[in-house]
Amino acid sequence: MNTKPFSSGPVGQAMVVARVAEGQWHALEDDLVVGRGHAVRRPDGRLFVSIDAWHAATFDHLAEVMLADLPAPLFTLVDEADVELTSSWQRAGFTIRRREWEFAVPTDPRVTGLETLLLPPGVRIVPAGEADEDLLRNLDRAIREEVEAGVGWHSMPAQVRPRPAGMTIVDPSRYTVAAAPDRYLGLVRMVTVTRQPRIGLIAVRVGEQRRGIARALLAHVLGTLHRRGTAAACAEVDETNQAALALFRGIAARRTGSNLELAR
Amino acid sequence: MTKHQGAIEVEGHVVECLRSAMFTVQLDNGHRVLAHISGKIRKNYIKILPEDRVLVELTPYDLTRGRIVFRYRN
Repeated sequence: MNTKPFSSGPVGQAMVVARVAEGQWHALEDDLVVGRGHAVRRPDGRLFVSIDAWHAATFDHLAEVMLADLPAPLFTLVDEADVELTSSWQRAGFTIRRREWEFAVPTDPRVTGLETLLLPPGVRIVPAGEADEDLLRNLDRAIREEVEAGVGWHSMPAQVRPRPAGMTIVDPSRYTVAAAPDRYLGLVRMVTVTRQPRIGLIAVRVGEQRRGIARALLAHVLGTLHRRGTAAACAEVDETNQAALALFRGIAARRTGSNLELAR
Repeated sequence: MTKHQGAIEVEGHVVECLRSAMFTVQLDNGHRVLAHISGKIRKNYIKILPEDRVLVELTPYDLTRGRIVFRYRN
């Protein structure tokens, strides 16, 4: 166990920070754990860190040891409303890299205005669980390449960044697809872990954008949720993604918060 | 209630989501605490909603404040 002692803790006792396992650090005071640090590598290869401590001094000691142990660049995610935590990371040398807004998306078509939406000509919606897996994977691959060649995945919410090659679609049954007679044009992935469904990803091929396909996809999935009695879904959007912001604002989505991604 | 390496962990349910990334949690023992979510939960994009059943770690310095360290799938 690698340990690093400090001369004083928040109440004057000696504090020791120790790496207790791969990606785990503890701050100990009188053999009691008074703070914890974690590091985990995301599927996109980036290393995210977090620290839980009750006192600023404990946070700073943990950060000092963790940052010395870990390779740069490092990332972390904080709720923008948590000013104290944000400033703790800034003390450790982290800077704000981007912001993503959280939205509550209503499902009622009378609220979203999607009640009378017509499908774009030549487009049909393939419900979740019915998509052809090969066509779906082709679409996903094409969209990811288009994003990479365009704005880049660095501007996307962390949750929709690409996984390693060949693993971009984990569960095909979660995807609803907009289809032309010969190919797929756009997709939306819905995730429901507990009671509130989450719009994990919505995307349309570059050449098919501005035809109302994304709205048609949302009309389908939100309408389905509404008929099942779910009042709202949630979604995260990068603040620089004007098209996505306009899409969600256009269906009466309400901003509920924001997350900051910090990097060092 | 469990005690883990100095931390007191208590189960409860979320009553209210407050501003400043805080939550009011009603503990099974009847007490209410003001809690924020742990870095691990935030890193994993786990959303906390009213009525969620959660495990709260109480600070030994102030038993009215805590940290949500786990959300149960209910």
